Amino acid sequence: MAMLQDLVDAYKGKIVKPSDALLHKTTHLIQDGMNARAFGEYEKPKALGDARWTDELILSTWYMAETGEVPDKLNFKTGKSDGGFDRLDFQFLPESDWLEHSEAIDTKLPLNRRGDKKNKIEIDIPWYGGGMSYGSVSVNVMMSRAKNAKQWNSFMSTGEGGYPPELYELKENVITQVATGYFGVEEETIQAAPIIEFKYAQGAKPGLGGHLLAAKAGEEVAKLRGSVPFVSLFSPFPFHSTYSVEDHSKHLDWIETVNPKAILSVKVSTPHDVDMVAVGSYYAGAHIIHLDGGYGGTGAAPEIAKKNIAMPIELAIPKVHKFLQKEGVRDKVTIIASGGVRTADDIAKAIALGADGCVLGTTDLVGMGCTRCSNCEGGPSGRGCPWGLTTTDIELQEWVQQDWGAKRLDNLYTAMQWRLRDILRKLGLSNVRELRGRTDLLKYIGKEAGE
Amino acid sequence: MIIALLRTPARIRGGIMLESATHVGLQVTDGPLSIDQFGAESARIGRAIADRYHRYHIETEEVDDADPLPHRFLVKVGKVGLAKLIGKESLKYFGQFDVILARPCTYGVFSGPVGGFVPKPKLCVGCLRCEVQHPDFVKVLPNPDLLKLGDSYTTHGHIAAIDEEAKKGMVPVRGQGYRGRFGGPGFDGMLTDMSEIVRPSRDGIHGRELIGTAVDIGGKPMHLSFDSNGKLSGSTPEMFTIQVPFIFDLPPGDLGTPQLASVVDSTSRRIDTLACLDAHTVARLGLDAPNIVPVLDNTEASRASEFPNARLIELRSSPGRPWGWDAAGFDIATEATDAMIGIRIHFEEGWQDRMSQAVESGVKVIHLLADLHGCGSDGTFVTELFKEAHLLLLEQGRRDTVTLFGGGGIVGADHVPKAIISGLDAVTLDLPVLFALQGRSNGSLRQRKQVSGTLPRHLDRDWAEQRLTNLCGSWRDQLLEILGAMGIREVRRLRGEFGRSMVVKHLEDEAFEGIAGYVGGDC
Ligand code: SF4
Ligand code: SF4
Repeated sequence: MAMLQDLVDAYKGKIVKPSDALLHKTTHLIQDGMNARAFGEYEKPKALGDARWTDELILSTWYMAETGEVPDKLNFKTGKSDGGFDRLDFQFLPESDWLEHSEAIDTKLPLNRRGDKKNKIEIDIPWYGGGMSYGSVSVNVMMSRAKNAKQWNSFMSTGEGGYPPELYELKENVITQVATGYFGVEEETIQAAPIIEFKYAQGAKPGLGGHLLAAKAGEEVAKLRGSVPFVSLFSPFPFHSTYSVEDHSKHLDWIETVNPKAILSVKVSTPHDVDMVAVGSYYAGAHIIHLDGGYGGTGAAPEIAKKNIAMPIELAIPKVHKFLQKEGVRDKVTIIASGGVRTADDIAKAIALGADGCVLGTTDLVGMGCTRCSNCEGGPSGRGCPWGLTTTDIELQEWVQQDWGAKRLDNLYTAMQWRLRDILRKLGLSNVRELRGRTDLLKYIGKEAGE
Repeated sequence: MIIALLRTPARIRGGIMLESATHVGLQVTDGPLSIDQFGAESARIGRAIADRYHRYHIETEEVDDADPLPHRFLVKVGKVGLAKLIGKESLKYFGQFDVILARPCTYGVFSGPVGGFVPKPKLCVGCLRCEVQHPDFVKVLPNPDLLKLGDSYTTHGHIAAIDEEAKKGMVPVRGQGYRGRFGGPGFDGMLTDMSEIVRPSRDGIHGRELIGTAVDIGGKPMHLSFDSNGKLSGSTPEMFTIQVPFIFDLPPGDLGTPQLASVVDSTSRRIDTLACLDAHTVARLGLDAPNIVPVLDNTEASRASEFPNARLIELRSSPGRPWGWDAAGFDIATEATDAMIGIRIHFEEGWQDRMSQAVESGVKVIHLLADLHGCGSDGTFVTELFKEAHLLLLEQGRRDTVTLFGGGGIVGADHVPKAIISGLDAVTLDLPVLFALQGRSNGSLRQRKQVSGTLPRHLDRDWAEQRLTNLCGSWRDQLLEILGAMGIREVRRLRGEFGRSMVVKHLEDEAFEGIAGYVGGDC
């Protein structure tokens, strides 16, 4: 009878936590399948990729996440978006002038340049993980990212969804995000974090606020956010308590009172006056100005917002960099860029355009299997990501096991750091900080005839 | 304090609720109101006001497909490979049905008694898990039948978006970021601004709940004149209002069927906008109404009198005759009717003079027309052309005396705010109507006259009206998203707000200036 019931349940697709056998079968099929594609054992899936994340960028990211090395048969550097990072390249020195590829090429990035008494934080690589809230992704994904951040002496941000208890063991590498819904913002979560990130806006939906669909706001999510299970949650736009730089400054003062050592990051989108926003944030007390460009990732956003509102990050970085230079405060603040930064090459280009470092989001997800299919918000199944990434479905979330996810990201970051060093040495730079603002080391690739 | 105010009827009259209260019939009693009575009365009054309250909103409702678009993906499963897999797993996981029958697809493509042997590709969303998991025998392919819809400007992407918007009436929302090209030509080269801290109003969750999308049609005098007695002496505003900044234009090419006329008539009435229809069709079908804009040839201007219910009548050049500004036609039409007379002007050589002369003559509505790829006869894109028209009228000090409609190339929700930022008061919709009704086009969609299309064979009027209503609801909601992000509370204020937009080409010039090989934005 029990077997018959199992058969009926299986046929009906009843959703339960997977058995060990099912977990074993599915994770192996997924992982083996990704490797087979990345290693070129099968042709590239015809429906994979888009202009920003081409099939080769996705497959090369899978390759790097599996091996820790850059592939030699796939383009792991650029997409085909026909502009921005995809039309920029480096002006490398003649080969005879290249430095040795070695660990001596320094990729460290200090995050607090104000010279105040707050945490002096330096990360080993010029990037960290962007906010993805619990609810928009599973605990397994969060933990994979946090474990990897620890491994790399870097960070990942909670996003606006609360602080799952498991994260406390990794709190030294976790940024607490304070966003407009204040979900998960509590004294403990502020006190736990070395960096507090104020999210004013998000590049993929600038000026629009957020909305977690009811289906994804299950028991656990609701508990962490202090809400009612399966009720949609809104993060309004903007902070309803902030209408001026002075109000913003009060926000930062408030954090300082609760956690005097935490350094403060202010995440903003890229409107036409982004330079003014940045300088205002600096004078309000920000250590990090995090610019999130219009082509960035998201759990869910209106399609009209993704492309049309605010500017791409490539165009915002130089504007802010030059303006802060003119104001004489550029060396007192760290500019972090995100929103369409996909690869080590993009990171190096962003730095050459004037950023200090970058934040990655989608790249981490692709490393763990994302195909950029755009069904994160639930899709017609209502269950979220079929790869187990942007979901809290009790079955699907198991497809990403924490140690596997952390290892994938570790490998991916290893390959990316290798490539970053490769770029630096070919430019004759022994230190990533020397690359900042060096647009003279870039070249723009025009269109070929007929393109 | 409130209690004190409300103690007696006389005092109630001084209170804020008085007007509403008397309208809803406040039961006035002799002597003071008790707290309980006050509470009960307030609740009753509040309910009555709420019941009477109406705020403009487009009611959308999901409707079924009549002639669905080709689905996005084809799913091919090798039956031998699948059979082998099932055989192998049946042995390996003997009795563990949850494992043997576990399917990679969470969307039901392999559901049903025969599972993957007869997949259901219309449910496929292209996550590719099946193909990655089973590379030996599963393939997921973009459907070529979908890719070949439309033409080089109105792409299958636009058509699929319109189809979804007309089906669901909602703002399309998806996960992950933008998937397309960086900037691009035409409308793609323009970005709209946002504000980090300003929202359009402090009401509601995001502050966009109270944004107005109404536009005034007609002209306002640039100043008011008064006589020595302080009475208005000069001209006064001649306007009426519609609730959305888009109107339906003449169906292009061979699409102007009576069926379609009837659908745009009922939809425009329902959502309180306008529909331009050929005057002969209006007369033949008896559609004369305030929401209908009969379009007359210039030589038939006297027939304007045949449409006593129209608020606006448009004149166009006669077929086969060179179009110049014909003040006589306008005068005849003005004599013949009380309706406002609008003039349709194509972006052809000399359009600036024709527009200026028309406005000089007192025309209150100018309807500017590019081809359906959004280009004037010299290839200039409409964002530039609309801007030129707007600035010309500003320079002449006449901008508010006239309403500018514009059409051609408007095939996406983002095109509406971008066209308005470029200087229009309202945009006119042509091809989106065809695709909202699941029509199909044949050949190029560039020249209006040459458009050839077919609508679903049995065009049910209610179905079609709901589809068009859904499209308008979705586009209006997307307009609210854009206005909300900018912190602008009504669409009228968006007109000509170039400063709240960004041109990718200009941003690139600023950002990449000095980078080797950069010779100016090339998108
Ligand atoms: S649903 Fe999953 S695979 Fe698809 S884009 Fe979202 S995260 Fe990536
Ligand atoms: S690609 Fe995804 S949605 Fe399509 S059939 Fe395969 S598993 Fe299902």
